[in-house]
Amino acid sequence: MLLPEQMAKVLIVGSKDRLERTVDLLYESRVVHLVDFPPDKEGFTLGSPLPIASKTSERLLRLRAIEKDLDIKEPKVPEPLSAERIRKEIDAAIISLDSEILDVIGSKAKLEERLSELDQQKRDLQPLASLPLDLELYRDFRSLTVFVGHVRTDPSGVLQESLDQFEALTAQDGKLIAVFVQRSEANEAQRILMQYGFSEVSVPQGTGKPVEILDEIQKEESILRKSFEEVQVTLGKLREKHAAFVLASDEELGIEVEKAEMPLRAGATVHSFVIDAWVPGKNLDKLKEDFNAKLGDGVYIELLEVKNRKDAEEDAEEIGPEDVPTKASNPRPLNLFNHLVELVSTPRYNEIDPTSVISIFFPIFFGLMVGDVGYGIPFVILGFLGLRKCKSDEWRTISTALFFGGIFTLIFGFIFFGEALGMHFAPSPYGELTWSSLLGIELPHSIDLGLFSIPIGMFSKLHDVKILLYISVWIGIVHLFTAFGLGFANVAMRRGLKHAFLEKFTWILILTGGVFLLLLMVDALILGKPLIMTDLRMLAGAGLVIVGMAIGLKGEGAKVILELPGLMSNVVSYTRLTAIGMSKAGLALAFNSISIEMIAPGGGIMIVMALLVFIVGHLMIFILAIISAGLQGVRLQYVEFFMKFYQGGGSKFNPLMIRRKYTTEV
Amino acid sequence: MALEAGLIAIGAGIAVGLAGLGAGIAEGPVGAAAVGAMAENEKLFGKGLVLMVIPETIVIFGLVMAILLWLNM
Repeated sequence: MLLPEQMAKVLIVGSKDRLERTVDLLYESRVVHLVDFPPDKEGFTLGSPLPIASKTSERLLRLRAIEKDLDIKEPKVPEPLSAERIRKEIDAAIISLDSEILDVIGSKAKLEERLSELDQQKRDLQPLASLPLDLELYRDFRSLTVFVGHVRTDPSGVLQESLDQFEALTAQDGKLIAVFVQRSEANEAQRILMQYGFSEVSVPQGTGKPVEILDEIQKEESILRKSFEEVQVTLGKLREKHAAFVLASDEELGIEVEKAEMPLRAGATVHSFVIDAWVPGKNLDKLKEDFNAKLGDGVYIELLEVKNRKDAEEDAEEIGPEDVPTKASNPRPLNLFNHLVELVSTPRYNEIDPTSVISIFFPIFFGLMVGDVGYGIPFVILGFLGLRKCKSDEWRTISTALFFGGIFTLIFGFIFFGEALGMHFAPSPYGELTWSSLLGIELPHSIDLGLFSIPIGMFSKLHDVKILLYISVWIGIVHLFTAFGLGFANVAMRRGLKHAFLEKFTWILILTGGVFLLLLMVDALILGKPLIMTDLRMLAGAGLVIVGMAIGLKGEGAKVILELPGLMSNVVSYTRLTAIGMSKAGLALAFNSISIEMIAPGGGIMIVMALLVFIVGHLMIFILAIISAGLQGVRLQYVEFFMKFYQGGGSKFNPLMIRRKYTTEV
Repeated sequence: MALEAGLIAIGAGIAVGLAGLGAGIAEGPVGAAAVGAMAENEKLFGKGLVLMVIPETIVIFGLVMAILLWLNM
C-alpha cells in the first residue's frame, strides 16, 4: 500500500498486419504505459502511422473549421452520442454541414466586410460634417491650395495680417478649419497653421454634402445590421442543431487520430513492429491472455524484467528507477491527498508514497490547530459539498482537506477543547463567557458512559498553554520519527541496510537522545526541579546524541553537525500547532466579549449591532482558520516531514486509454 | 510587580515583533521569486511554497519566547 505498484517492462512484438488490432487492444486494456521507442536503435526504424491517419486528420481539420465557423464553445455536456454512429455518418455529415453553413458563413463575412467599410467612411466624413461645404468643393483647384484640419485655436486673425487673400471656414467649435489660399502664399499659410497645432484631415472622394452622405450611410448600416443579426440567429440555430454532433465527432476523430499515430512511438522493421511498454505486474497475465485470445500467436508479449526497487549503479546501462512510471496503490480514502504530494513532485518508483501517511497526519494537525465545534461543522459541510460538486484536482484537494480536517476539528473541539465559536461549553473557572453562562444552564464537563467517561474540554487554549505546547512538541517528535522511519525504509530498499543505518538510523538515535534531554529540560525549566548532570536521562540523552553524531560523521560527513540545529528547530516548529489555535482563540474571545459583553447589554438596536459584530468577526476567523491552519498544516508536511525522506521526481503512470466525454462506445 | 509585569510584556512584544519582522524580510524575496517561477511553470507551486515558508520558523521561535515570557508574568 505504501509503495507504488510493481512494474514489469514488456516488449510487444508482432507482424504489421496485426498492428491496428494491437493498438485497439492496448487502448482497451488501459494498463499499458508506452515508452517511446529509441530512434537510433540499430536495425529498426520508427513506425509509421496507420493508413487511416492522413484521411482522418483531414476530416478532423475540416470539422475544426466548421466548429470555428459555428463558434461552438464548450457548452454543458450534451447527451453523448454513439461512436459507432459517428464513424458511419461522419463523411456524409461533414459534406452536408459544409454546404449548409457555407452560404450563411459567406453572407456573414460579406456583411462584416461591408459594415467595416461603412464604419471607415463614417469616421472619415464625421469631422467634415461640421463644415457647410460639398465634398467636391475641396479639390480640383488650379490656383488655390486647400488646408483642412484641426487646430487648437482659431488662427483667422493672424492669417488676416499675413496673407493678401484667403478664405477660411471654421466649424462652430472653432477647432476645425478649411483654409483656401493662393498657391503663392501656401507656404506662409502652412507655417502659420502649424503654429496653431494644425493636423490635417483627409477629404474623402465623392460628391455632395457630408451630412447627407452620413445620413445615407447610417440608413444602409441599420439595414445591414438587421440582416447581420438575422444571420447570427440562423447561425445560432445551426449551432444548436449541430453542436452535439460536431463536438462528438471532434472527439471521435481525435481518438482515431491518436490511435492511428500511436505507431510513431513504436519501432518497426519491414514486416513487424516492436512496442516498448511498462505494465503493472499484476495486470500482465491478464494482458497476455487477452492478446492470446484475440490475436492468437501473431503478436507476442515478452516480459523483459520485473523492475526491482534498487538504485541503479552509476554509469550502469540499466534503466534507473526514475524512468519507471509510478502508479500509486493507496486505497480510498487514503489516496484523496494524492494531489498534495503531486504538488511537490511525483513519488519515484523506488520510494514510499507518502500520500497515505499525510492523509492521516494532515487532518489531525488541521483539527488540532482549529479545534472548535463551531467551525468544524461548516468545515465538514463545505468539504462534503465540495467533494460532490468539484471536478478539478485543486478544489477536490481543498474539499478533502476541509472534510477530513473538519471531522478532526469536531473531535478535538469537543473532547480536547470543549468549545464552540471560541466559548467553552462548561462553566469556566476563570469567569469567562461560556455557553453555560450565556444560555443560563450548566453544561457538563464530561459525559459518563458507565465504564468510562468522555471529557468535554480537557484544556483551554488560552489558559493551558504550557501543556498544549508540550503536547504539540510530542506530536512533532512522533511525526519526525515517522519521517525518519520512512527514510530508513527507503534507503534500505534502495541501497541496503548498511546505508540506511548510516544515513537514517543516526537521526533516529539523535532524536531519541533529544527526547531524553527534552524530558530533563521540561523538569528543570518548567517544573523547576534542580538540574542534575548525572541524571540517567542526561547520560542516556547525551550518549545517544554523541553516538548518533559519530555514526553520522562516518556515513554522511560533517553535514550532520550542520543539520543538528535544524532538527531542533524542526521540533520547535511544531509548536505552531498550539500557537495558531491560541491566536484563533484570542480573536474569538475578543469578538465574543465585544459583541456579547459590551454591545449587546445596550438592548434594542444594540442587539442587532452585537449580532453583526459577532457574525462578521466569526466569519473572519473562519476564513483565517482555513488559510492559516491549511497552509501551516501543509507546511509541516512539506518542510518538516518530506525533507527527511522524500525525493520525488518520478514520472506518473499514464496508460494508453480513451477518455470519452461526448461519445459512448458500446 | 506592575513594573516587572510591564517589562515582561514589552519584552514579549519585542520578541514576537522583531521575529516577525525578520521572517518577513526573509520571506519577501523568496515569495517574489517563487511567484515568478510559478508564472513560468505552474508545477513549481509545491517547491515554491516549501522554500517560501522555510523562514517562517523564525517567527515561531519569537512566538514561543513570547509565550514563555508571558507564562512567567
